Amino acid sequence: MSTRKLTAITAATAGALLLASCGGDTGGGTGDATGGAEGGDDPIVIGISLPLTGDFAEPGKGVQRGYETWAKVINDGGGLLGRQVELKILDDASDAARVVADYESLIAQDEVDLVMGPFSTRLVVPASRVADEYGMLFVEPAAAAAEVFENGFENIFYAAPAIAPDHYNYLLDFIEAMPEDERPQTAAVAAMDDPFAQGTAYGLRDGLAELGVEIVVDEVYPPNATDMSAVAAQIADADPDVVIGGTQYQDAVNMILALQQLDYQPRMAAFSTAPTNPEFVEAIGGAVDGILSPTGYTVEATFPSNEEFVAANEELHGAEPGEDEANAYTAGQVVAAAVEAVGCAEQGDCQQDLIDWLHENEVDTVVGTLGWDEAGRPNGAHLIQQYVDGEIAIVLPADVAEAELIYPKPEW
Amino acid sequence: MVSGSLLFQSLILGLLLGGLYALLAAGLTLYFGIMRVVMLAHSAFIILAAYIAWWFSTATGLDPMLSLLATVPAFFAIGYLMQRFLLSRLRPATMTMMSVLLTFAIALIIEGLLGMVFSGTQRRINLPYGASSIELLTARIPVVQVISFALAGVSLLALFAVLKYTRFGRALRATIQHPQAAQLVGIDTNRTAGFGFGLGLATAAVGGAALSLQATIYPSLHWHWIGPLMAIIVVGGLGSIPGAAIAALLLGVLRVMLELPLGPTWAQTIFYLALFATLMVRPQGFFGGRLAQRF
Repeated sequence: MSTRKLTAITAATAGALLLASCGGDTGGGTGDATGGAEGGDDPIVIGISLPLTGDFAEPGKGVQRGYETWAKVINDGGGLLGRQVELKILDDASDAARVVADYESLIAQDEVDLVMGPFSTRLVVPASRVADEYGMLFVEPAAAAAEVFENGFENIFYAAPAIAPDHYNYLLDFIEAMPEDERPQTAAVAAMDDPFAQGTAYGLRDGLAELGVEIVVDEVYPPNATDMSAVAAQIADADPDVVIGGTQYQDAVNMILALQQLDYQPRMAAFSTAPTNPEFVEAIGGAVDGILSPTGYTVEATFPSNEEFVAANEELHGAEPGEDEANAYTAGQVVAAAVEAVGCAEQGDCQQDLIDWLHENEVDTVVGTLGWDEAGRPNGAHLIQQYVDGEIAIVLPADVAEAELIYPKPEW
Repeated sequence: MVSGSLLFQSLILGLLLGGLYALLAAGLTLYFGIMRVVMLAHSAFIILAAYIAWWFSTATGLDPMLSLLATVPAFFAIGYLMQRFLLSRLRPATMTMMSVLLTFAIALIIEGLLGMVFSGTQRRINLPYGASSIELLTARIPVVQVISFALAGVSLLALFAVLKYTRFGRALRATIQHPQAAQLVGIDTNRTAGFGFGLGLATAAVGGAALSLQATIYPSLHWHWIGPLMAIIVVGGLGSIPGAAIAALLLGVLRVMLELPLGPTWAQTIFYLALFATLMVRPQGFFGGRLAQRF
């Protein structure tokens, strides 16, 4: 049974490669010859699997909106290489086994020209393995954990400014630049047992430790923890200057309220993920001023393509794009830049050319100009946001800041 | 290393948490006691009540506790109907096993409906006193936890008084202890069991409102609660309200105190260790639990 399946897959792959290389000649040729003529050729089909149901359904749908906005902007502008772009999106139900099957079938059976990544580290890792086996370019919008880039794959590229441990780099620069006697002396860390949440928090923790800040509490809690009061009691008892939360949404809200209830006032508070959630301000009763958070994207960003993205997203989905939408759109921009530069988009040798091109070039995106190292880690840094007078604003780095960083933070 | 004030603070927080556990587990132990129903949907009903409290508070701006005026009678009625029209139709011989399947399905239905109506977004009630606390010596007692502890206390005392001193309570206890004998002395055991089930579900309504005061809620949250609650009622002795209350307080305090040396991940295994130890050493439960010998 399994041998037959394997044979079938191999045959399908061989067929796909053969077809793709034939199609490649025509596609490339037409692209060159007609120089951007509309709809004169078959569409470029891009295969994507997304968690549209299950645990990651909410961000998964955000990523879907971003991909759709990108496809619309590309098609309205005459397509890629003069061909229309068609997205083939499958639902993997947040299941790592389904995501593997999805990419297998997209590449081998559906013979898509290109693939782009799903959402979340848990799904990107198995998906990138499949893409690597087939030699496909794999640009992904949503796996920031350091482990993603340690599998030895050269085909993966993260379409965002920085991987998780680097998210707070600008904040660390800011603290380093402070006069020694004003710097925070102690810090507490509480992080969810999750590669992304820990990655961001530990990046800041280790950076602070290097600056001589003493880490007085360092706790890890399981993803299903609902009661944060015991962790909060330890932090409040140690009374550190800085509190770092390696958090998703609900644990950050629960922890902040528990800290407030214990009357603990940090001089600096940094939480990943939660503060950018639209429900956050109301959930913690408006006492948000001074809370810091790293972000890879802001709708106000002045990067050249951002205005077009925000407008298109509002037109198509009736709302401003969030970080998930932006990351997917960025992935699209990266793939498009490579395809336009190399002049092809199909399975086979073309994929290697696309991979090689991205390793050697930089791409202008809605999150800035991105370049990658050999493992696919982007070279940028996350922006640092802070709540100032109840509104979230970019405070670091200084050249794009909308407001000045408040330190020490106001009482919550 | 660990300061005295932190120990005292943790002890207070543990007791408060234990109170909430006691309230949430009380209904479960009743269902077991009355008719060997393993009610996996209990915590789903708790989350449903929490959502109603959140929705009520968001829509009207009033205190979420007021939603209890509607949810307590409604949940009582739902419990009664559930027992009379669903659970009582299961064959007594396979009741325990089949009730697991039936209530598992009900839990999934509630979770699915919550997701459909309110989406998967996590919600938290924004209360004017949400961040307030009372100072007690060196410790701080969060106001919301005081309220939920008080709710638990009042509900459990009321439940205990009903079971102990009312005619219905005597009938219910008779039904629990010996259904045939109860029938012989003229008790309508079916109706009594229905009311008992309704009473259990009414505690879920109170528990849900209490939970909504101090946690973000989302549709699948109930799966995180059912394990610890099951452990509590087994340790406390199936069918015993005081047993469940003592076990809940004890395990709540142990969980919070164990976080100091072990961290949150290992501390939560206390529920399963206690469950394991109970089943090994004293399967009928450590407290009360006289009734459980039949199971």
